Amino acid sequence: MKLDPSLLARIQFAFTVSFHIIFPTMSIGLASFLAVIEALWLKTKNPIYLQIYRFWLNIFAMGFGIGVVTGIVLSFEFGLGFARFAQMAGPAIGPLIALEVLTAFFLEAGFLGIMLFGFNRVGPKLHFFATCMVALGTLLSASWILSANSWMQTPAGVAIHDGQLTVVNWRHVLMNPSWPYRLPHMLTAAYLTASFMVAGIGAWYLLRGEHQDFARKTVALGTAFATVLIAGQVFIGDIVYGTMLKYQPSKMQAAEGFWEKQSQSPAPYYWFIVPDQKDQRNRFALGTPVLGSIWLTHSLTGRVEGLKNTPRELQPRMALVFFAFRIMYCLAMLMFAIGVASLWLRFRGMLFNSRWFLWTLVFMTPSGIIATLAGWYVAETGRQPWVIYGILRTADAVSPVPSQALLSTLIAFVCVYAVFITSFLVFTFRIIRQGPVEAPVYPEASGSIKNAFRPHVLDSPKRLADSQFS
Amino acid sequence: MKTSNELHRVHAVTAALLGVLFFFIIVGVFGLPFAIAGLVVFVLGAVVVCRVFPTEDARL
Repeated sequence: MKLDPSLLARIQFAFTVSFHIIFPTMSIGLASFLAVIEALWLKTKNPIYLQIYRFWLNIFAMGFGIGVVTGIVLSFEFGLGFARFAQMAGPAIGPLIALEVLTAFFLEAGFLGIMLFGFNRVGPKLHFFATCMVALGTLLSASWILSANSWMQTPAGVAIHDGQLTVVNWRHVLMNPSWPYRLPHMLTAAYLTASFMVAGIGAWYLLRGEHQDFARKTVALGTAFATVLIAGQVFIGDIVYGTMLKYQPSKMQAAEGFWEKQSQSPAPYYWFIVPDQKDQRNRFALGTPVLGSIWLTHSLTGRVEGLKNTPRELQPRMALVFFAFRIMYCLAMLMFAIGVASLWLRFRGMLFNSRWFLWTLVFMTPSGIIATLAGWYVAETGRQPWVIYGILRTADAVSPVPSQALLSTLIAFVCVYAVFITSFLVFTFRIIRQGPVEAPVYPEASGSIKNAFRPHVLDSPKRLADSQFS
Repeated sequence: MKTSNELHRVHAVTAALLGVLFFFIIVGVFGLPFAIAGLVVFVLGAVVVCRVFPTEDARL
């Protein structure tokens, strides 16, 4: 059987990057959540915040570790699967990835140890500073990577001479047209992911009648954050939509499921279609009349542009883009509705009593991850057949390696990543099953950095706490 | 006759549906100025509800 190296390279990258993005999404959101929780603990000295911090720190640490390891793999894959892309885009992309390492990774590496193991070794304020630095590191990391990816979506600041790309304006490369909107869109997605995870696990404890104080606080915090964030996300998402419609119209044409150059008036909003790319039509379409005009053109009679506006050879696969977009969009609407319901239940004092709502939160625990994955599928599959939009086609970016090499490494990745995800899930469920551990009211170390290196602090945190507070 | 719990459920679902209408405003159906105003009103409203009605003390 003859396998297409181009297809294998794409499948391999799609698999590894899909796996990877789950973990940075969690760690970006959880790092900031932990910083907020530690700030609340420092302000109130309420031990419940310390309990929440310690519980989520363990899950954050595992997610962070897997995120870093699987992220490094992606850089190597540029060489393994997409060497021609690396060769051409290197002058623009390379420095951005190097800057991510120099700024974000160094910052995270410097403070992660204090964050994870420093509770008994440094003072609470220094520990809080470490948490904030790790959270800042995750933000910087996201910023550089979004800058690189957004440049691939809306390339700017470069010139091409004899097939070689040269940067002519770094500011334009960094702040390319889609980056200012895609960055907050991704960051808000990460915060939403963390909010629904926190609320969902708190709801699980409430339903089981366990760890009631911890559960009430996390459900209250998670739903409050999620409600505010989803409103912001919907607003930012609409701006991203408008930006992509301007720079990559084919992506949004595919996302809406219309084929004809102009849809009928008024246009329906399609919830489900069976597209036929070959015949350039939908075999089946299920939609709400008029809603497409209202939503997409902001009028009652507006027409929506279809994919036939894009030459056939430059069209993305409609099915992938359409369904990924629908999953993301429907989850956003569901999150919004849950946010509003949580406000109502909070107003009525029923937030922790409504079992149907708590079950909904439990089922929504992974919703942020699913929505983020779907959003990235829209971004990446909608850009096809380009890897750098309008400059380099994906088919021309693939490494000249035999398909057997790509297939064997793909199988290896699947096996190794299966171990990763299994370990992560086993340990996460174990942490959840064990539940939060009772935390002391007071911080456990005295506060100054010099205490961090005293042997008795390192050896016996309890002795220090006893000597300090007895 | 509906029980109190069922009524609460109906009210919550109604509130959620009204929220989805708010979604239309924020998503820009009525233009950018309305979207910004809708976002500000929604976020401020959410913050007020969360601060005025802290329900952590309520028991199951």
